[in-house]
Amino acid sequence: MEERHLVAYASKEPSAFAEMLGGLIEANVRAHPDKRKDFDALIARVGIWVTDIDEGVTLVFDAGRLTVYNGLEPRRTITIRAEAETVMSLSNLKIGILGLPVYYDEVGRGVASKLVLGRLRIDGLLPNIATLNRVTRIFSVH
Amino acid sequence: MAIKAFTAEWADQLRDEVNKSSVYKAAAKGWKWTVGLVVEAEPDKHFPEARGLVMDLFDGEARDIKVGAAADAQKCDFVITAPYSRWKQVAKLELDATKGMLQGKLKLKGDLPTIVRYTKASQELTMCTTRFQTEWPDES
Repeated sequence: MEERHLVAYASKEPSAFAEMLGGLIEANVRAHPDKRKDFDALIARVGIWVTDIDEGVTLVFDAGRLTVYNGLEPRRTITIRAEAETVMSLSNLKIGILGLPVYYDEVGRGVASKLVLGRLRIDGLLPNIATLNRVTRIFSVH
Repeated sequence: MAIKAFTAEWADQLRDEVNKSSVYKAAAKGWKWTVGLVVEAEPDKHFPEARGLVMDLFDGEARDIKVGAAADAQKCDFVITAPYSRWKQVAKLELDATKGMLQGKLKLKGDLPTIVRYTKASQELTMCTTRFQTEWPDES
């Protein structure tokens, strides 16, 4: 029997970006039991705004279900704002020991430098570091 | 001398450029899937029939790139579809392929985690199309 859909789209016409993120997360979660564990435990509202295409989504994680909204919805736990290339880099971060994202390889250094230079902004970062790490693990293709 | 876009000669030139690229070789290590590019027709731009590029890419090497029917490209492991003028924008670096996919200007079919893992390789593939002169049907 086919497993139920893990990802739903709030809009009848999800944006290409919404479908891409939803599809990426669903494929990751289905392929990796460790990501599935994170997905099943995560309750958070994560906004992602791509500054150079002026488009964004809100990912509403609800303990094993994800609803993807076109655009930014209110009451977000975390909001990530970056250019398209940086958003793709976030999904290329490797996950190291203790399940923490690796910031010392080429991709990680690139992401860290963009954070320092303000080209990657994460609103709500400080009180939600554990949530961000969990989202990064789910989002990462590694 | 400029080569007509999306012809057999253009595909051969692209293959040679890809195989000259050390950046591509490193970034595409481990890649083992075929990629089809579907170029949709735009008769008003002197591109009257859809064409397909079938790219046999393996472990950092372009083993073959062929131009044929769109249906051939649609059989590949990864398929990227866009109208002629969008591909022209990509090849002229007026449209970033990653942004184009996020905006739905280029439609991607295939395993998303795999293609995301090879973002750098796909960017370099695009760069390879800029390293030789192309004759565009709507400019000639």
